[in-house]
Amino acid sequence: MAMQQSILLAFDHYTTVLVGILPFLWQGFYETLKVSFVAIIAGSLLGFLIGVIRSERVPVIDKILWCYIHLLRGTPFLVQLYVFYFVMPNLNIELLKWSSTTAAFVALAVYTSSYVAEIVTSAIATVPQGQWDASTALGFTRLKTLRLIILPQAFKLMIPPMSGVYVMIIKSTAILSVVGITELTRQGEIAILRYPRDILFIYSVIAFMYFIYCYPVLRFARWTERKLGIAKVTELD
Amino acid sequence: MEWLLDYYNYRIVGQYFNQLAFGLSQTLYAAGVALVLSLLAGIVLALLRISKRGIAWRPAAAYIEFIRATPLLIQIYLVYYGLPALVPAAAGWSELYLGIMALTVHTAAYMSEIIRAGIESVPRGQIEGAKSVGMNYYQRLRYIILPQAFANVLPPLLGQTAVLIKDTSLLSIITVFELLSAGILINSERVKPNESFLTIAAGYLTIYAVLLCLSHMVKRRLAGPAWNAKR
Repeated sequence: MAMQQSILLAFDHYTTVLVGILPFLWQGFYETLKVSFVAIIAGSLLGFLIGVIRSERVPVIDKILWCYIHLLRGTPFLVQLYVFYFVMPNLNIELLKWSSTTAAFVALAVYTSSYVAEIVTSAIATVPQGQWDASTALGFTRLKTLRLIILPQAFKLMIPPMSGVYVMIIKSTAILSVVGITELTRQGEIAILRYPRDILFIYSVIAFMYFIYCYPVLRFARWTERKLGIAKVTELD
Repeated sequence: MEWLLDYYNYRIVGQYFNQLAFGLSQTLYAAGVALVLSLLAGIVLALLRISKRGIAWRPAAAYIEFIRATPLLIQIYLVYYGLPALVPAAAGWSELYLGIMALTVHTAAYMSEIIRAGIESVPRGQIEGAKSVGMNYYQRLRYIILPQAFANVLPPLLGQTAVLIKDTSLLSIITVFELLSAGILINSERVKPNESFLTIAAGYLTIYAVLLCLSHMVKRRLAGPAWNAKR
């Protein structure tokens, strides 16, 4: 009897907490959604451009872009965030004296671009050389070959790894809470100030909210991997 | 060299050499311990995951999916606040050990996926051969399957190790004094973001470069599946 009562009381308590914090967590979730979308779109465009340029192998530019990609892949995102947040505005350049929100958006987009660029380059490299040769024989210019022959085939190869990167970016948005972006994790920290004893419960709710955002993307990545694994790029040689 | 001092005062970095060295050692220590633990946990998880019994593979799969679909930061918070609540003895542990636990919990899921791919890449005939010479499950695992599996997935394992080292930077949030914390210390004492964070970035880049070279070396040496490797 006593146990039943205590379970009921606990249930009551957690419902109260949940009702109290959920509106704020949703607000944070919406912010996470917004940040991740902007970063993914901006980062993918930038990364795509870098990837295509890299696959052209222009002598000096190629080295510079190699450095760009490895600088971003070799350092933790948190360090990059601090660089964008503390170091860049300190360089005495008017344009770089940005707010914490802009710094966070730019840092995440740049971080995304390094991963996307690698995927694009390797996808273009996977398309067989014969495709290039054939379209050259047909009198296509290099740009036209890229646009009409190579990229449509490369796109298919990009989808699964790209989804994997997107999951990673969505998860990385949690780190933005450190510089005061009020996304899901930050809202959770604020909620913990209101209910300090339910810290574990609140973090579990947050973990669940990230899960419902990331898991479908993860499944999509695996589904496309299976789906496209059968229909590979036309192998000629 | 005077012009450089305006942008990057290396003398300040020199003054903080001890803190930076200690931070670097803590980063490598945390990453090293977490690497060993997560490899062991990863093997167990991978074996559970490829088991045909639902009671074994279902919880393993759920664990892996949960870890892969939630941010590391949240997992660190859950371990940091949750473990002392569940295990009373953990309340006395230092942040470093709780941080290593969190990194292990996180990395084990990724390691298990890599190891699983490695185990599945070992040809069926190897296992049948081992069975026919009378090896039991543990012998097969120890002498036949795992050596080949590890050799096959060494490059992705090194890649995951690089990710693990980068992930240790998040431990600075739960006040572990690692490399990034040393940078934050310089920035808060001297308000010199260039000297603090660019130095830290260079430190992480050095570790990354070493791992990249190692990965290239491994790829060249193995050059394909391990059972084809020339001695």
